Amino acid sequence: MTVLQLTDVTGGYTRKPVIKDLSFTIGAGELVGLIGLNGAGKSTTIKHIIGTLLPQKGEIRLNGVTLNEDLNRYRSSFSYIPETPVLYDELTLKEHLELTAMAYGIDQHTLESRSESLLKEFRMEKRLNWFPSHFSKGMRQKVMIMCAFLVNPQLYIIDEPFVGLDPLGIQSLLDQMDEKKKDGAAILMSTHILSTAEKHCDRIILLHEGRVRAQGTMNDLRRAFQMPSATLDDIYIAMTKEQDHE
Amino acid sequence: MNNLQEVWSKRFNHYITEVQKYMQYVFTGHLALVLVFVIGAVGYQYSEWLKVVESSFPAEWIVAVIIGFVLALSRPVTLLREPDQVYLLPLESKMPIYFKKALSWTFWSQIGLTIVIYIVAIPLIKTVTELSSAQIWLGVAIIVVLKYLNVHIEFNYRYANRGDSLIIDQITRGILSILTIQSALTLGYSYVIILIILLVVYERTLAKRVKVQPIPYEHFVKVEQNRMMGFYRFANYFTDVPHLHGSIRRRGWLNFVYSIVPNSQKSTQNYLVYRTFIRTDDHFYLWVRLTAISGLIALFVNIPIVTWIVALALSFATTIQLKYALLSSTDFRMDRLYPVDESQRKNAVRKVIRLFMVVQAIIVLLCSIGQPWFFVSGILVLLISELTFQMTKDPSNEY
Repeated sequence: MTVLQLTDVTGGYTRKPVIKDLSFTIGAGELVGLIGLNGAGKSTTIKHIIGTLLPQKGEIRLNGVTLNEDLNRYRSSFSYIPETPVLYDELTLKEHLELTAMAYGIDQHTLESRSESLLKEFRMEKRLNWFPSHFSKGMRQKVMIMCAFLVNPQLYIIDEPFVGLDPLGIQSLLDQMDEKKKDGAAILMSTHILSTAEKHCDRIILLHEGRVRAQGTMNDLRRAFQMPSATLDDIYIAMTKEQDHE
Repeated sequence: MNNLQEVWSKRFNHYITEVQKYMQYVFTGHLALVLVFVIGAVGYQYSEWLKVVESSFPAEWIVAVIIGFVLALSRPVTLLREPDQVYLLPLESKMPIYFKKALSWTFWSQIGLTIVIYIVAIPLIKTVTELSSAQIWLGVAIIVVLKYLNVHIEFNYRYANRGDSLIIDQITRGILSILTIQSALTLGYSYVIILIILLVVYERTLAKRVKVQPIPYEHFVKVEQNRMMGFYRFANYFTDVPHLHGSIRRRGWLNFVYSIVPNSQKSTQNYLVYRTFIRTDDHFYLWVRLTAISGLIALFVNIPIVTWIVALALSFATTIQLKYALLSSTDFRMDRLYPVDESQRKNAVRKVIRLFMVVQAIIVLLCSIGQPWFFVSGILVLLISELTFQMTKDPSNEY
């Protein structure tokens, strides 16, 4: 079952497009890695999917609807973990969770049971009444992650999740992602940490200069680049070199 | 030698441009208008009061205490920045040239306020005491000397103690300054001389300790940052200051307010906006300050029309500034993604502002009790606030 579908999406901040004719899909129970150099268009792609930028051409369907067709249904179908944590300085950790639950219509009982296990998993139980100014970068990231998983949506959009997290945090996040995948959620993850992407992603989308350069499983990519037994790092470097020569 | 002077002049120019950039908003803002009214009204009341003030009124002490207090607060303006502790380190021995310029600016930029306060007090001094004009003006000269000493002592004290227990120095200088001014106003010139000598000795002692100490960059940089933050916060009441991050306080005693927000998806923005308003110092103190001014004017100015105009102008100022502060934002916030109606934010802001403007109206009303038509000011506050919210443009649509 397709959760997210991008068809010929062209867009950017100004009239000059950053991403061009982007098409890909993500199905239920699938973890897809979005890989590319700085400036390849990963963040722009994500901004279009979460709806803070609107495509100049093409369409994005989430759960069968576009943002314009049904704003509330579209928005309640995904949760987003940005690269840099965006927290409310004036809300405590507990209030971040409460606010998220309220916004997504999660009842008190579900909020309590879900946040209890998330807080335990990310070792943040003792910081419920802290304000973000007392959190380290990693803890701020954990607050974002917990809010995202609290929602339990069909699609998770995770931008550079491993930067700033300690090894235990990374493991907890990977565990959570695995669990959600098993429950049938789709995950789109953008990252530079290629070994982790190779190990955990079901499929990879290689983005280069705003276009999809290649996509598929690791074996598909190896075939496309004619590099049997190559790692994702090898393929990635080959791709950038190949483009340099053009 | 020249390059430190150049560093200073460059920074100074940059600083002045920055201050001017924001001051133009301050002086063209609506609060400036209110201030004109307030000054006019207070001036009128002052002159009326001078007609009836008794000659036993302790004017000398009051003037001395106010000016002494202001003199004790002589925070140095060094314009030092964080990278200086690395880049200016090799120039440590030449830094006195830089600090000389800095202290000269500190003196000249702060002396005005002290003299203005004294000049405002002159009519009172003339009414209550029997000082001659020459004796009164000699007071100005003494204040100038005191200011010079206070600036240098505070700088040296901060330098020598790296900013620790400044309060002891401030109290010492405050008391000495108060006594000096009081003596000058009661013609005890021999005391004035003794007290000034004491201050000079204090200054010299500290100066000796300064000579053997490394420059406390960390402390001075912090002082600078706080000062600029203070300025930006002040300017933020009149215009939008981009690099200002408002500080946050829990204000737990207001937690009860949040209980009026029901737990439902429709109240998501209410949940957020109530907390944003109450816990962000910028927003909350803006309301506190304008409400306090409005209340004090209502309490002490017994000319109904002035109270009304002030109440009306401050209600407008509070509402429009809070509306802008809470509705306009270019930063990405997570609630932009929430599956709730876009109009929720505006409605939530309207609710919070309405609630706190009702409180402002009640405070102003209570302060005006005893005046004819006392209820008018309270009604005006509410009416103007609602009209302001309704008629002004929605800043969230600008992006």
